[in-house]
Amino acid sequence: MGVLNMKRCNRILVSTLGVAMGLAVSGGAVAAQDCTTKIGAVLPTSVDWGRPIAETAQFVVDQVNEAGGVAGCNVEMVLRDSQVDPKIGVDAAKALVDLDGVQVLLGAVSSGVSMPILTSVTVPGNVLQMSCCSSSTAFTKLAEEGKTKQLFFRTFATTGVQAAVGAKVAKDRGYKSVAILYKNDDWGQDLQNLISKDFKALGIIVTSATAINDGQPSYRAEVTSALSGNPDALYLGLYPNEGTAAVREWLSLGGTQNMIVANSLKSDEFRDNVGLQYLGKTFGTDTASPRVASADSFVAAYEAKFGSAPNGPGLANSYDATMIALLAMEAAGKDATGDQIATQVARVTDPAGTPVTADSAGFSTARDVLASGSNVMYQGATGNVRFDENGDVSAPAVVWKFVEGSVEEVEYMSLTDVDDFIASLK
Amino acid sequence: MIQHLLDGILVGAVLSLGAAGLTMVMHMLRFANFSHAELLSIGAYSALVFDALFKGILPVLAAQIGLLSMTGTLALSMVFSMVTTGISAVIFDKLIFRRVREKGEELSMVFASFGLALIIRNAISLIFGLQTKLYSQDIVFATVLSREPLVLVKPDQLATLGITLAIILLLHFILSRTTFGYALRAVAENQSLAQVNGINLQRMIVVVWMLGGGLAALAGVFYGLNNQITPVIGRDLVLPIFAATIVGGIGSIYGALLGGFVVGIAANLAVMVLPSGYSPSIPFLIIIAVLLIRPNGMFGMERT
Amino acid sequence: MIGIVSYLVFLATVASILAIAVLGLNLQWGNTGLFNGGVAAFFGAGAYGTLILGGGPQDGQLGGFGLFYPLALLGGMATAGLLAWGVGILTLRLRHDYLAISTFGIAVAFENLMRNAQWLGGGAQGLHGFERPLHAALGDGFLYNILFLLCVLVILVLTYRFLETLVASPFGRQLRAIREDETAARSLGKVPTRIRLTAFVTGCVILGLAGGLYGTFYAFVSPQDILPTLTFQIWAMLIVGGAGNNKGAVLGAFLIWGAWTASGWALSRFAPIEAQLYTGSIQYILIGLVIVGMLLWRPQGLLPERLVVSQTGHTKT
Repeated sequence: MGVLNMKRCNRILVSTLGVAMGLAVSGGAVAAQDCTTKIGAVLPTSVDWGRPIAETAQFVVDQVNEAGGVAGCNVEMVLRDSQVDPKIGVDAAKALVDLDGVQVLLGAVSSGVSMPILTSVTVPGNVLQMSCCSSSTAFTKLAEEGKTKQLFFRTFATTGVQAAVGAKVAKDRGYKSVAILYKNDDWGQDLQNLISKDFKALGIIVTSATAINDGQPSYRAEVTSALSGNPDALYLGLYPNEGTAAVREWLSLGGTQNMIVANSLKSDEFRDNVGLQYLGKTFGTDTASPRVASADSFVAAYEAKFGSAPNGPGLANSYDATMIALLAMEAAGKDATGDQIATQVARVTDPAGTPVTADSAGFSTARDVLASGSNVMYQGATGNVRFDENGDVSAPAVVWKFVEGSVEEVEYMSLTDVDDFIASLK
Repeated sequence: MIQHLLDGILVGAVLSLGAAGLTMVMHMLRFANFSHAELLSIGAYSALVFDALFKGILPVLAAQIGLLSMTGTLALSMVFSMVTTGISAVIFDKLIFRRVREKGEELSMVFASFGLALIIRNAISLIFGLQTKLYSQDIVFATVLSREPLVLVKPDQLATLGITLAIILLLHFILSRTTFGYALRAVAENQSLAQVNGINLQRMIVVVWMLGGGLAALAGVFYGLNNQITPVIGRDLVLPIFAATIVGGIGSIYGALLGGFVVGIAANLAVMVLPSGYSPSIPFLIIIAVLLIRPNGMFGMERT
Repeated sequence: MIGIVSYLVFLATVASILAIAVLGLNLQWGNTGLFNGGVAAFFGAGAYGTLILGGGPQDGQLGGFGLFYPLALLGGMATAGLLAWGVGILTLRLRHDYLAISTFGIAVAFENLMRNAQWLGGGAQGLHGFERPLHAALGDGFLYNILFLLCVLVILVLTYRFLETLVASPFGRQLRAIREDETAARSLGKVPTRIRLTAFVTGCVILGLAGGLYGTFYAFVSPQDILPTLTFQIWAMLIVGGAGNNKGAVLGAFLIWGAWTASGWALSRFAPIEAQLYTGSIQYILIGLVIVGMLLWRPQGLLPERLVVSQTGHTKT
């Protein structure tokens, strides 16, 4: 009985606080807008790497509101937790579309949630869906079959590029044999399939490919079996949590320090928990940020706001997904519907358009350019984002390594370089 | 192969400690407590807090003990953590399990334990954040016991095994040789009859929870030492610990010890046979296999 | 206004599909006393079975039978039933908390299988490309969702009626008999193992039906849909609604699903901005509190079992 009363009191308290906060915030708003446009976000905020992704999206919304909002209105991002449970995620998406009337949906992160949202909510509802991080090749197939109605985009570079560059790093460093540890989800399985083929094409032996499941008490067995092949190097397609556990285990058992990691491990948490002293021969792959000053200002603004660099899985992608969605909304104008906004995505990611930077100032510039009828090329945190007809993104690549407090670029491969290399593997 | 066997025993030691606590609680209180593994989380995080505290107050103890990555402060924190975890377990019992025991039946308690596990896990993640934490950033390298075949052990894991064996022996001694131990077992067999003989039931229950909580805290700290500390330690360990308890037989401390080893070894050997993607299923396949042959576990007794 | 109705239709559809699953579980636990910890496996077998049988061709994996939808759904139910029969033979003789763990293990193994066997169910990517029945004719919108809801409601009512009849029938009395006093039942010539197996398989077939409808509704299924959390959710619905009571089962489904979604919505709407990132954890704590609170207050559920006494005993004065 006491428990139920407590819950009711808490709810009243929380909603009172919420109203008070809302009043306080709106009182001090810059360039007071008298209208609000909502966008929806369905992200796994109860998972460790999901929370920063949501924070980054909100960061973009704050920057855009600073620049005066979208089409004259303040942007409000309504955030729902997907709990990594497809039916919860879909319900949240449906509530956002039906009850909050959003025309733009950011989400989700795991493909198992993004896919049913796409088939049950966004396609029937003609809403734009922009995912920062869903990697499954199934989306490409679905788009090719015309089932996405061109409403689905993702700022996550296709896994094929990541795999190819990873293989190239191994070849360049002269590794003859590699063991693979991959996360046992759709992204990891895709990555492992692709990179194994690439290694074979380059004549590198894959001594073992071991799946790492979430939430296991110990990865000793997997690491031991990876060790047994005595590989020259270790390839890791893991997230920071299990990546840290696996690498620490690997190193303590005397595994080689020659490691190649995917962009998911470009994280401070991983670097600090493993220790820079052991990461000297670790090279990572990622999509490249543009070689312009604006990229630095994005990193600087992010560090100013959050106190750390935007490393960590999906952060840069989340930033770009949100910013591109808002730019497209600006281009489409007030009261545009989701499908109208979707058609404008090409206008804001036109390689021949006026370049704009990834911050408030860039958004203001973009607004003026779009108003005059011209196109914009958004230079994002993950590079000059350009979507193909399936809503997929290919991008130039970069090889990086860990340094004190940050990461440092070691090699840059332009889009043509990457495409050529992938072609050479066939 | 030998490496896998050895790994299994070393990894299994943590499971054995957790299972020892769980088996006592399950035997005494007659319900499957799915929140027991969360006590490991509480133990690991309490030790983290105490460790930080002691490092500040007594920096002289912050040196590592011999080859281990365990520091003096951590060892001290472990003891404090055992106490606080035991007390938490008693509080949870008073607040929730006792009342459900009076009103409902076994399934209600199982379910209440699920609900409690959810609350504890998410409260920990709200307080400490979701990031991975470690007692010590240093990576301790394994010692090579033999080169051909390659056999490696980490000193931390040997220490864990050693302490686990010592504790289990101590526990078994207490339960089988002391009056206090007899009293505990009497209450587990038949509560009313034990009370008729003058045993204070409430006090025994408190003691069992303290013991269970203490063992769980120990297991949690060892787990954190050998792996890492996250809010989901409980979620990840609950099923292997249950497997160890059931395989060993509910109510048997030696069963819990052996059960932990069996589960650990099976999990490690399985990787040689099945693709590692199937690793989470292994504890269950063992349970089913053991139960089909011995329906009460290896050393379990038929429950009245 | 139409937005709210559209959302409620969606919500009701999911709640009804889950209610069918809870009815299946009620037959097993509420009526027969079988602690089925592997709900997700049978639900998943139904979903995957239906989608594999009824879906389009998939490269590199099993599929492409393109069966007529009702057949595909029945196929999914049969898959669940077959799995249940195998599991039942192995495990039903165990005592009930061991049965729970064993069946839970089956569910974990099933999820692992679907996650790793890419040739079978697409692995972690899941099974996509399923065309909902009559999709070509009726399109995707509000009309389709309403019709789908009506179909699901009809199936729910039929399942309910079927189970009520079953429980009131001699078979139902047998179930209660072996649940309450197995020795007495055996002395009257009943064979408990066979009765239990029948109840278990029937309940799992109903779980498979719910799974098939679930896969159809989302036109997609992946290993993420059959994680242990699903088992926990279905059980919570039964516990809160009232085990042993079919009305309670349905009520529990609607209540818990409604509460789960409403709490997410309320937290996102009313919680202060700073707390938005933590709403996920807060929601889990609230759910845990509701479960514990419910068990402290009314462990038999909101609508407890109504026992029918067929003959009252007479005491001689």
